[in-house]
Amino acid sequence: SMAGGLEPHLEALRRELHGPAVLSVLVALIAVAVTFLIWRFVQGRRSSRKAVLLLGLCDAGKTLLFARLLSGRYRDTQTSITDSSALYRVSQDKSTTVTLIDLPGHESLRLQFLERFKAAARAMVFVVDSVAFQREVKDVAELLFQVLVDSTVLRNAPALLIACNKQDVTMAKSAKLIQQQLEKELNTLRVTRSAAPTSLDGSATGGPAQLGKKGKDFDFSQLPMKVEFVECSARGSKGEEGEADLEALQKWLMKVA
Amino acid sequence: MLDFFTIFSKGGLVLWCFQGVRGPAATAPVNALIRSVLLQERGGNNSFTHEALTLKYKLDNQFELVFVVGFQKILTLTYVDKLIDDVHKEFRDKYRNEFQQKGALGLLNGTFDFKDDFMRLLRDAEESSKVRAPTVMKTFEQSLKSQKTVKCMIETRGEKPKEKVKNKKNKGSKKDGTEAVAAPSKASAGDKQLSAAGDKEELTKDEILQKNREEFFRRHMKAGEKSRSPKPDAQKEKGKKPRVWDLGNSNAKVLDYSNSATNGSAEACPVEEFDPDMALGDKNREPGRLYDLEYESDDEAEEEKVVQNPSKPSVKKGGLGGMFGMLKGLVGSKSLTREDMDPVLEKMKDHLIAKNVAAEIAVQLCESVAKKLEGKVMGTFTTVTSTVKQALQEALVQILQPQRRVDVLRDVMDAQRHRRPYVVTFCGVNGVGKSTNLAKISFWLIENGFSVLIAACDTFRAGAVEQLRTHTRRLNALHPPESHGGRTMVQLYEKGYGKDAAGIAMEAISYGRHGTGAGGCPGAAPSFTLPPVLPARNQGFDVVLVDTAGRMQDNAPLMTALAKLIAVNAPDLVLFVGEALVGNEAVDQLVKFNKALADHSMAQTPRLIDGIVLTKFDTIDDKVGAAISMTYITSKPIVFVGTGQTYCDLRSLNAKAVVAALMKA
Repeated sequence: SMAGGLEPHLEALRRELHGPAVLSVLVALIAVAVTFLIWRFVQGRRSSRKAVLLLGLCDAGKTLLFARLLSGRYRDTQTSITDSSALYRVSQDKSTTVTLIDLPGHESLRLQFLERFKAAARAMVFVVDSVAFQREVKDVAELLFQVLVDSTVLRNAPALLIACNKQDVTMAKSAKLIQQQLEKELNTLRVTRSAAPTSLDGSATGGPAQLGKKGKDFDFSQLPMKVEFVECSARGSKGEEGEADLEALQKWLMKVA
Repeated sequence: MLDFFTIFSKGGLVLWCFQGVRGPAATAPVNALIRSVLLQERGGNNSFTHEALTLKYKLDNQFELVFVVGFQKILTLTYVDKLIDDVHKEFRDKYRNEFQQKGALGLLNGTFDFKDDFMRLLRDAEESSKVRAPTVMKTFEQSLKSQKTVKCMIETRGEKPKEKVKNKKNKGSKKDGTEAVAAPSKASAGDKQLSAAGDKEELTKDEILQKNREEFFRRHMKAGEKSRSPKPDAQKEKGKKPRVWDLGNSNAKVLDYSNSATNGSAEACPVEEFDPDMALGDKNREPGRLYDLEYESDDEAEEEKVVQNPSKPSVKKGGLGGMFGMLKGLVGSKSLTREDMDPVLEKMKDHLIAKNVAAEIAVQLCESVAKKLEGKVMGTFTTVTSTVKQALQEALVQILQPQRRVDVLRDVMDAQRHRRPYVVTFCGVNGVGKSTNLAKISFWLIENGFSVLIAACDTFRAGAVEQLRTHTRRLNALHPPESHGGRTMVQLYEKGYGKDAAGIAMEAISYGRHGTGAGGCPGAAPSFTLPPVLPARNQGFDVVLVDTAGRMQDNAPLMTALAKLIAVNAPDLVLFVGEALVGNEAVDQLVKFNKALADHSMAQTPRLIDGIVLTKFDTIDDKVGAAISMTYITSKPIVFVGTGQTYCDLRSLNAKAVVAALMKA
C-alpha cells in the first residue's frame, strides 16, 4: 500500500521534470554559474600584481617624483596624508602600464598604508633623501628593515629599487656611499631587533624571518629580491622650469613592467 | 590681511596657492598643521597656532581636499570662516570634472586658475565684515533732545503745549496704576510728580485737585483700616489660650486606629486569593538551588538593533525622501552627514570610555573622526556603523604608532661608540612600579651584553635603596661575572637617604663614565689620553639607570626637584612610568609632569618625557584604554610594557593587538 501511495507522486514528479518550466530554471542556473566563473577569472586577472609603490621617509620627495613621472611638470607639495595612485605608461611605444602608488611617509601612516598595498606590489621604489641621509640613516634603515622582513614581501619578492633623490644639491651623498652605510646599519639592526622584548601577543617584533645570511655581514645580494641603487633628482638641476633627472628610474620601470 | 591661502589634495599635491602681502612660504606652517593636528587626531577644533600665525582649515572628505588659510595671530578676522566655506563651495563646483576622474591624473594635469574668483570672494567677505561694524554713538546733534526748544523745557503750571498731549495721556494711564504705590508720600507727591515729569508732562489744576481728593479719601480709608487692625491683636493678646491641635491632646489610645480585634488572631484577616504558581514562577526549578545570571551571547545583533532604531523613525518621517536615501545608501552614492554619524559616534565614545580611555580624549577622538568622515561618500553595501568603526580603528592605530624610533639597544650601541654611558631616568607617581620595571629593564640589557649601573636617587622612601640592592644581588646571581668575561654586569650606586637626588645622579653618571668596576667597551682602545689620575683602561658602564622617588603631580616642590634633576643631568631618555589601571588621571599626570619639566628648564628646547612605560598590564583584561590616553596626550611612544613581577615580564607594544582589544565588543 505504501508503494501504491508513492507511485502517483512519482508519476507527477516525472511529468514535472519533462515540463518546460524546469528547463528554463536549469538554463538560468547555468547562466548564473557561468557569470560567476567569468567574474572570478576577471578578478583574478585584475588583482595580479601590477602596482609599483613609492615608499620612503617624510620629505624624501616621493610626491614630487610621482608628479614628475606622470605629468612631467613640477608641482609644489605638502606632507601627504593619504595615498595617490595613477596609471603610468612605461614608454612611448609600448602600451604596458603600471599603477604608480605614492604612499605617505609620515611615521603614523606609513605602516598602515604599506599593509594595504603590499600584496599588490610588483615592484617597490624606496626613495631616500641623499642630502639628509647622514642625519637620518638610522630611521631610513629602520623603515627599510621593516619592509624587508615583512612576510608578504618576502613571499612575493618584488623588485626593489633604492632611489637616491635630491642629487641636484651639491651635498648629496652618492648611491655607493648610501649602499655601504645602509648595509652596515641593517647589519646592526638585525641584532638589536631580534633582541627586542617580545610583543604583547607573543609574536617577535623583529619578524620571524632572518634578514640575509646568518654569520656573514649583511649584503643586499643576500636578499631574495633584486635590489638596485640609482641616483635621481625629482626637482631637476635646471630648477623648477627644467626637466627632472629621472632617466635611470624610468629605465628601471621599463624593465620591471 | 591674509598671509596665505592654500588648497591641496590629501595626497600632497598643491592645487592652488595665494601668497599674501608679506607672507613667508606657506609650506612650513602647513606641514606643522598637518603633523600636529590632522595626523594626531586633534582635528576637533578647526584652528591652529604656529609661531606668529593662526591657521584655519577645512577638509573636503568627498574629493579629498584640504583648504588652509593663514593670517597673523594678533589680528582677529571675522570673515575667515565664511571665506573658507565660500571658497570651498566655489572651487569644488568649478573643478568638479577634474576631481571625479579616477586616480590622481585629474589633479596632476588640471590647471587650477582660481585667482580671480578668489580675489572676488575675498573682497565680498571683507565688505560683509565691514558692514557689520559696531554702531557708533550718536552725537548730540543727532539726538532728539537737541531738537526740542529751550522754551518747552521750562516748567509752567497750566500750560498745555500741543505736543505733550499724547504723552500725557499715556503717562496718565500709567500714573493711575502706580497711584496706590505712591500713596504714603502724598504731601510731596504733587511736587514730585511735577518735578519728575519735568519737561515731559504737566497736569492741569483741575486734574491735580481731583487727584488730591482721591488720594485724601484713599488715605483715610487706609488709615481707618490701620487703626482697626491692631484691635483684634490686642483682644487676642489678653487671653492667651493654649493652642489645641486636632489630635495632640488625645493619648495613644485615641491614635490607635488598628482594629483591636485583629492583631494576633488569625481568623480576622480576610482570606486572599493565593495562587502558588504565580508566586513561585518557574515550575521546573530545583528547590533550594541558586541559578546563575543569564545574559545574551549575541552582542552583534543587539548593536545592529540599537543602531537601526534611531534610523527607523527618520525613515518614517522622511517618507519618500527616506526611502530614496536608503536606496542611495545601498547603491553607494550617499554622503555621510553629521546627523547620520552622531548616534554611532555616541555609542563609540561610550564604548571607549568603558574601556578605560580618558573621557576628554574619547570626546576629542570622536570629534576628529567625525570631521574626517563628514561628506565622505560611502562605498556599496557599507553601513554607517561599519564606516565609522573602520575610521576609528585607523585613527587608534595611527595614534599608537611611534612618532620616532623606538630602539633602545641601537641607541645604547651609539653611546657606547662615543665612549659615554646611556642615561635613562624613570619618573612617575607613587606606586606605579618604577623600581620593579627598572630591574626588569636592567635584566634585559644584561642579557644583551651591556653593563648597567643603577643610581638610587630615591632618597625618600624607606627601603628604596635596600630594594635596589636586593635586585642587584639577584641579577648578579643570575648573570655572574664569570659568564661575562670577569666583569660585574650590574652595580648599585647609592648614597643613603636624605641627600639631594640631582647631586647623586650627577655623581653616578660620572662614575658610570670613568668609574672602577665593569669593563666598558670590550676591545675598544681609548682614542684620547686620559689624565693620570684615572686608570688607563676605560672602565665605565654602558647604561646608567636612574631611579627617582614617586611624586604626585600636584606637589610643586617635588616637581621642581625632578625638573632640576633632569635639566642638570640631561639624560638620554626620560621615561614616564604609568600604570595601565589609571583612568582619567593619566591625562592630568602627564600634562602636569610635562609642564613642570618645561617650566623649570633653562634650555631653548626643554627636555620633556621621551617615552612611556606602561606597567601592570596583566591586571587589566581588555580595558587597555590607558595606552591610548597616554600616547594621545604626549604623542610619545610606549617603549616598554610591564606584564608581571618577574624579570621576564617585559614586552614591547603591539599596536594592532591593543586596538583589536579596544574595539572588541
